[in-house]
Amino acid sequence: MTVKIITDSLGDIPAEQAEELGITVIPINVIFGNINYRDGVDLTTEQFYDKLAAGKIYPATIVPPLGRFADTYDKVAEETGEIAVITSSSKLTASYDTALLARERMKKKCRVEVIDSLSAIMAQGLIVMAAAKAAQEGARLGKILEGVGNNIPRAHTRMAFGTLEYLRRGGRIGKAKTFLGTVLKVSPILGIRDGEVYPFAREHSRARAIDYLYDFADGFTKIDGIGVEDATTPDEADELARRLQSRFPGETINRSRVSPVVGAHVGPRVLGVAVLGDRD
Amino acid sequence: MRYMAEANSVSGKDLQEMFTAATGWLEKSAADVDALNVFPVPDGDTGTNMLLTMRSSIEESYQVANNSVSGVAQAIARGALIGARGNSGVILSQIWNGLAQGLDEKETMNGADLVECLLLASRTAYNGLSNPVEGTILTVIREAAEAAKAHAADVSNDLISVMEATVEAARESVANTPTLLPVLKESGVVDAGGQGLYTILEGALHYLKGETEQLKLRRPWMVASSIPLTTKVPQMVGAVDEVPYGYCTNFVIKGTELDPEKLRKRLEKKGLSVIVIGDESAVRVHIHTLDPGDIMHYVNPLGTLHQINIRNMDEQYRDFLEMQKERMPEVDTAIVAVVAGEGLSQVFTSLGATIIVPGGQTMNPSTKDLLQAVEAVPSEKVIILPNNKNIVLTAEQVPALTEKKIHVVPTKTVPQGVAALLAFDYEADLETNTVNMYQAQAEVRSIEVTRAVRASRLGGLDIKKNQAIGFLDGDLVAVADKTEEVLNEVLERVEPDKAEVVTIYYGADTKPAGAEQAAASIRERYPQLQVEVVQGGQPHYNYIASVE
Repeated sequence: MTVKIITDSLGDIPAEQAEELGITVIPINVIFGNINYRDGVDLTTEQFYDKLAAGKIYPATIVPPLGRFADTYDKVAEETGEIAVITSSSKLTASYDTALLARERMKKKCRVEVIDSLSAIMAQGLIVMAAAKAAQEGARLGKILEGVGNNIPRAHTRMAFGTLEYLRRGGRIGKAKTFLGTVLKVSPILGIRDGEVYPFAREHSRARAIDYLYDFADGFTKIDGIGVEDATTPDEADELARRLQSRFPGETINRSRVSPVVGAHVGPRVLGVAVLGDRD
Repeated sequence: MRYMAEANSVSGKDLQEMFTAATGWLEKSAADVDALNVFPVPDGDTGTNMLLTMRSSIEESYQVANNSVSGVAQAIARGALIGARGNSGVILSQIWNGLAQGLDEKETMNGADLVECLLLASRTAYNGLSNPVEGTILTVIREAAEAAKAHAADVSNDLISVMEATVEAARESVANTPTLLPVLKESGVVDAGGQGLYTILEGALHYLKGETEQLKLRRPWMVASSIPLTTKVPQMVGAVDEVPYGYCTNFVIKGTELDPEKLRKRLEKKGLSVIVIGDESAVRVHIHTLDPGDIMHYVNPLGTLHQINIRNMDEQYRDFLEMQKERMPEVDTAIVAVVAGEGLSQVFTSLGATIIVPGGQTMNPSTKDLLQAVEAVPSEKVIILPNNKNIVLTAEQVPALTEKKIHVVPTKTVPQGVAALLAFDYEADLETNTVNMYQAQAEVRSIEVTRAVRASRLGGLDIKKNQAIGFLDGDLVAVADKTEEVLNEVLERVEPDKAEVVTIYYGADTKPAGAEQAAASIRERYPQLQVEVVQGGQPHYNYIASVE
């Protein structure tokens, strides 16, 4: 009986890969005006950014109710006796708390362990995918949890932002608020550190910002996963993925897009790189 | 009062009368000194505090039976100590403590004694503070004492002559306080405590010269700042001049036959900073008092009380300091940048500079200015960006003068400073950041365009007065009549077809339209370039541009 992996939609795992690896993704909700969309289910990334560009409404996001988590646990428990739930950072969403509480609401008897990835976007995605691979290879729950614990500090991400306005409005800007109000047109590079959004660098042009992302990935030695994702600039992301592929010919570059729920906080033109690995 | 013009020395009685005269002189301008207030909150009653401290000294001096200057000076010091109010009052009491030391066991005081007293007073005042701040009463007593010493050695040690030199030096020192203390400069005022001390010394001089008519009929001069009001300093932590005390009490009385004028007179006896405004039906009151309950008790029968707000000023003051600190970015390593011009200051602040020290070409800040900024940041590690070749050396003096860990990234131009700041990594340690910032500033090319102040021949170029001249990385390379022409000419020298970003900062005397036009023409010729125009507001330079 294989251990099953559940995560929330902040991990930006491409749908085909989630299916292939047997990962169950609980969609976080995106609210536009008073319409509630399930991330990635009722709303694709393109549709989301079209809406964003069309209106002046700033979207909000909300973690679905306990019941949705509990129902998902029960459904997955039909196939397994052991579940690992890997959530996005508890410092960014209520997903972790909801996932914990949902265990008491489930009807089926099944061992469910919940881990805070202290991460989001593809960095979370890479942690989850590594856990799912281990599960497919027959690892038991204890071993998987141990692996996740080891991988959390090894998952890194950097994103070049087009604007910090959405992050500010959504209240997730954290220490990156020092990058606000910049007089010059600079491209801020943020990442996630200790579960929170963190300011890493500023580049004076988009081209330099993309070089920064490449150099960031280039600095890793032992790599267990690379992801490249975009919001509204697929060509830039494809080109960056090509460059990284020739740098790391043996690795699979996971090409993804930010989910609407992430998009609601990062806005358009975000370009991100995530690496699961060790740095010098 | 005796006529003192010929006097070589004064007795204890004279000293006491001199202090009384000086206190009377200060009293005339106490309100003006109070008005020299740089803080938005709360009110700093420097003049009043110094006056009350002086009165306490005088009262104590009347308790002395003997007529030696030693006995009187000790009483003055004791009275100041117990009566000291506010920061300036405390420092004043330290100064009189030095005076008492200098006159110890002396019957009379002559010019040489006065020099000795002033030097001791200066030393005692500095020693009494854990963190002496320049540009305050401290600087004034120190510079006055130094002048007195020099005067006695080189000119005359006659008592009045020494006192004249002391007063003159104090006046100059007060006028100069805004150059030392940015908060003063920002507010366009001189230091209140320094002004108070100057007034006391001047009152004493009038007494020594027997100028009783002056003392009676004239008012003390308020020293004007030696520099005009300049642009504000972003995120500068206010240097501590005055610690307020007691309770700031505010309320509104509503009634039928209120008399604001009468109320003001009564309240003036009960507290400080009294403001009473209104009419028969409603009066708003603001007062600083040690006993707000007493005030309430007094006004209660007059009508109904509304909007009562009583705040402990110590807390208010702490909140103010906290607020100032919160406005600074929370970083492990702070950055002190030397920048001139409102626009450029904003560029640097918005890129994360913790403190801007105003300065640049022809306005070089002192080591002290930089040291003060370094001490003001809430961080133990500091990187200094001098941004001018004439300031690099000054900046390099700072590390030896502070306990903090200071690195200087020797940026010689504004573009180098911006490039260095952009390379600052919030994750990296001080050493790594210093190396990265050094490398980043070395990669940018700096263009500076200004107008020649005189005709000259430089670098093989004939330059007429007022012609536009252009520098590339500090070297003069172009001359023409129009500044935009020069800007373009210098740009051509740096292979603009291979560059990515050009940022043009236009100066205080340059029209935005000219800058936009220049940018448009560059964009046309080099479409791959990202050209950005920013209002720098810098003096002297029409254009500063970076090429990356």
